[in-house]
Amino acid sequence: MNFRKTPFSPGKIFATLLKLIPLVGFSIIAAYPVYYMVVTSFKTRIDWLNNQFGLPSKISFDNFIAAASQGRMLIWFRNSMIVTILSIVISTLFAALAAFAVARMRFRGRQFYLNMMISLMVIPPAVLIVPLFGIMVTANLINTFQGLIFIYVGLLLPFSIYLLVSFFRGLPVELFDAAAIDGCSSFGTLTRIVIPLSAPALVTLVVVNTLWVWNELLIALIFLQSDELKTLMPGISLFKGRFNNNEPLVLTGAFLASLPMILLYLAGQRFFVQGMVAGAVK
Amino acid sequence: MAVKPFTRQPKLFRTLEPYLYLAPATLFLIVVFFYPIVQVIRLSFMQMEAVGGPIVSLGNYQLVFEDPVFWRGVKNNGELLLTVPIMTVLGLILAILLFERVVGWKIYRTMIFMPSILAVPTVGLAFVYLLGMNGILNTLLRGIGLGAITREWIGNATWVIPAIGLVIIYREVGFGVILFLARLMSLDQEILEAAEIDGANWWQKHTYVTIPQLGAVIEFFVIVEFITMLSWVFGYVYTMTSGGPSFASTVMEFYIWKHAFAFRTPGMAAAVAVILLIITTVFIFLQLRIRHQRLD
Amino acid sequence: MKTTALRLMTLLLVLTFLVSACAKATNVTPGAFPVEAKPTATQGMPTAAPPEEKIELTVWYWGDPDAPGADKWLAETADKYMAMKPNLKITIVTQDGSTLFSALQTAASSNSGPDIASQWATGPVLSFVWSNALVPVSDFVPADELKHWLNLNENTYNGKVWGASLYIVGVYFIYNKDMFQTAGVTPPGPNERWSWDQFMAACEKLKASGVVPFALGDSDGYGGAWFFSTLGMQGLDSTDELRQAVIGKASFKDAKYTGFYKLLDDMVKKGYLNSDVMSIQHAQAFVRVSQGTAAMQWGIDGVIKQTLKDMDPAKVGVMRVPKWGTGKMADYGDATQSTSYLITKWSKHPQEAADFIAFWHSQERLNAWYAATGVVPADDRFDINLVTDPVMKQVITWNITGTQVWLENWIPGQVDGDGDLPAGQLIFSQGGTPDAAADIWERAADSWRKQNPKELENWTNWQQ
Repeated sequence: MNFRKTPFSPGKIFATLLKLIPLVGFSIIAAYPVYYMVVTSFKTRIDWLNNQFGLPSKISFDNFIAAASQGRMLIWFRNSMIVTILSIVISTLFAALAAFAVARMRFRGRQFYLNMMISLMVIPPAVLIVPLFGIMVTANLINTFQGLIFIYVGLLLPFSIYLLVSFFRGLPVELFDAAAIDGCSSFGTLTRIVIPLSAPALVTLVVVNTLWVWNELLIALIFLQSDELKTLMPGISLFKGRFNNNEPLVLTGAFLASLPMILLYLAGQRFFVQGMVAGAVK
Repeated sequence: MAVKPFTRQPKLFRTLEPYLYLAPATLFLIVVFFYPIVQVIRLSFMQMEAVGGPIVSLGNYQLVFEDPVFWRGVKNNGELLLTVPIMTVLGLILAILLFERVVGWKIYRTMIFMPSILAVPTVGLAFVYLLGMNGILNTLLRGIGLGAITREWIGNATWVIPAIGLVIIYREVGFGVILFLARLMSLDQEILEAAEIDGANWWQKHTYVTIPQLGAVIEFFVIVEFITMLSWVFGYVYTMTSGGPSFASTVMEFYIWKHAFAFRTPGMAAAVAVILLIITTVFIFLQLRIRHQRLD
Repeated sequence: MKTTALRLMTLLLVLTFLVSACAKATNVTPGAFPVEAKPTATQGMPTAAPPEEKIELTVWYWGDPDAPGADKWLAETADKYMAMKPNLKITIVTQDGSTLFSALQTAASSNSGPDIASQWATGPVLSFVWSNALVPVSDFVPADELKHWLNLNENTYNGKVWGASLYIVGVYFIYNKDMFQTAGVTPPGPNERWSWDQFMAACEKLKASGVVPFALGDSDGYGGAWFFSTLGMQGLDSTDELRQAVIGKASFKDAKYTGFYKLLDDMVKKGYLNSDVMSIQHAQAFVRVSQGTAAMQWGIDGVIKQTLKDMDPAKVGVMRVPKWGTGKMADYGDATQSTSYLITKWSKHPQEAADFIAFWHSQERLNAWYAATGVVPADDRFDINLVTDPVMKQVITWNITGTQVWLENWIPGQVDGDGDLPAGQLIFSQGGTPDAAADIWERAADSWRKQNPKELENWTNWQQ
């Protein structure tokens, strides 16, 4: 991207400073809560009471140990991992199948199906929880991973299908013609040609969906009640009530719950960014 | 664009094939979306102290409309809508500034987008302490001599929704910035350069050229955020205030959850769910409308 | 660049897998009592009978906030019991006070959940009785054992006992004797009780001397709710009078029910409370006196014991909640079993659950309870002479002398959550007038009546 280098002049320097102020300012505001949580995690409670905002006077790992043992964060972490990975794998698989059909096969109601996905994307889960609860009770899937994963897969599908359809449609037609001439079945085309070519779209989809499932609260709260099965988010939202006189522990829990996503983000920023933008910028 | 039929396979298979591909996804969609939507409408007309009670037609709706807590929830959702313009303007300004590639812009971009990937409970819990009586905000205010303004931002009935709004803005601005920035980067540079040559200053350039170019994305962002304010704020309320103090921060989703699971009145919860669904549908229509107009 | 990013992400994924593989399901809090060695055939004992069916019991437990040390005691108790019954596995899940009622509600709706549940006594327990979520404890615990348990009347309905009691706690004010002295305040004598005017006068003096007179946490609503139970009770003659308002035959706007909010409003307006009332939860205010940041605060047995530990015990005083009302209940005590332990209807092993609860009342366990928590167990076989600390002795004597009513137990859970808690928050957040607080009560009761006709029927027919 071309960008004219501006000559150094007092006016330009002043202008740059003016631009920097809101940017730096907001960056500090954006980062501050994370800084606060990290710094607090390493403080003991007394340290925190005396010095809420500064660096710890002495580094303490008490909070981390307490989070894992009393707070059961390791267990919840494992649960979040299980639920997230299974939901993503299943939903991506089924979304790819369906998107392939919508993008590349002829059938009645094709456009309608796609429009349906767009509409479903904005339905708030809060609307669905009452009947979903009834269904899960009848199916005896309350308080099970399977029940929760089933719901998550359903909720992830509209966006996933929509995203993949957009991408598949962008693939050149010649590819499919060539495959057809070579006698490739549709399934073969999908697995051997389309999927490998869709790697960037798939990675983006997986990243965005992972973030969504990992951070999800309402559904996990309702459908996983037992402490052993809880995922991270419902778990830490109750931290405040359980450990109300151990504020550093609560903040440590809050921080640790988001840490995996923060690390993933720092490692692969572009996928997160792409994912957020997908579907909006045409 | 149609695909040449895969001629090696029998015709019947070819006609049925798409449906096979669609089947697994459609099954999930039916169970998770379609059936529940139909069911929630049905349930909203039933008295449900025990599941499957007698039909009370509009009884639940009446109870809901008579409940001031419900209206407080609607009002709070409405007040949260007011954060959208703030988010949008802030996002635009930051995006444009980032676009100008001032020194270190990539770092700022990373930091500004980070809140969007933090989980809502994480952000909520952090801000409960940050906005508390002795949290950073009040401490800073006292530091610059505005000690008189300090208050319990979250414990105060008047300020709790603005406080939650602040937290939401904190988390959602990053999303806007990225959206706008991505679009800016794909814009035609010549127009901007032409404006500069014509003597437009920074302010004019962006107001008359850049922002109109972003029209579609801005509208998209605004609609998405409007819908978010209506139906994706449960996490904030649950983590930070449990709807308090004294109902001051309840929202429609929270009302649904409370009536479905804390009290045993799922009929009322279903009624509010239907109301929320209707409101959301209206917004969807708006969005589709605007999109179609834009495409013309 | 892309491959590096992907590599990093894969590495992170692998790491997280490894970490999560280390997560083991642990039983409960650390420091659990070590399990005694199981007897084997070589120790001269008969070979074990063919292994019985493995029985699992899940206990949803709440008790530690009332009686710190309770969680540890229960873990120890479970370990001992499991050592005695090798085919039994007990899993304890600590509950959160703010979701105690709703979590059990959700479990009841799904007809699955714990075998033993904890719940606030009386009103909340009864709502589960009426919704057919429980089996009577009295069906599974022999009568001659049951008769030793205290305060069972709090959960008796239709001749059956539906909740087991474990401990008795009472609610009082804790105060700092030194701060009183400095401010020139004379605390009430051992058998005296302040009037509200005396209390307010003391607050004024304390405020003048530069300390926070009373520390309260109400962000979760419970700090205010305790005022309803202790002050609100004093305007009424009986729990049945409260029931009249619940079922709609009287109005909560009547001063005898909600007049006390004027007193609270007065306290707030005169600045007798800490500045962060609405930023802290009820339990967070429990450390204010021991931290030296307030002269008075709420106290319950466990908290009182902790305060005696955390600061110089010679400086710690307790007093009964001041008297303002003239109803018959104004003289009643503020003690209760607080939490009752229930056996759920869907439990597959109600008898084993009951046996476990009965084990809690074995002599050794009762003594261990007292040693761990400092709270008096709800059993007449407990020897009061084990209590040595004079302050705790006074508290326990108050707890078990005379009629005790904890009024919050005598309203439906929804009225508590939508009436009691928000009304207090309204006053303490200065978001409304005492009349508006009374309105919140009346509206909550009205909504509850309209939304729960069946429960209303039960309450109407319930003779107290």
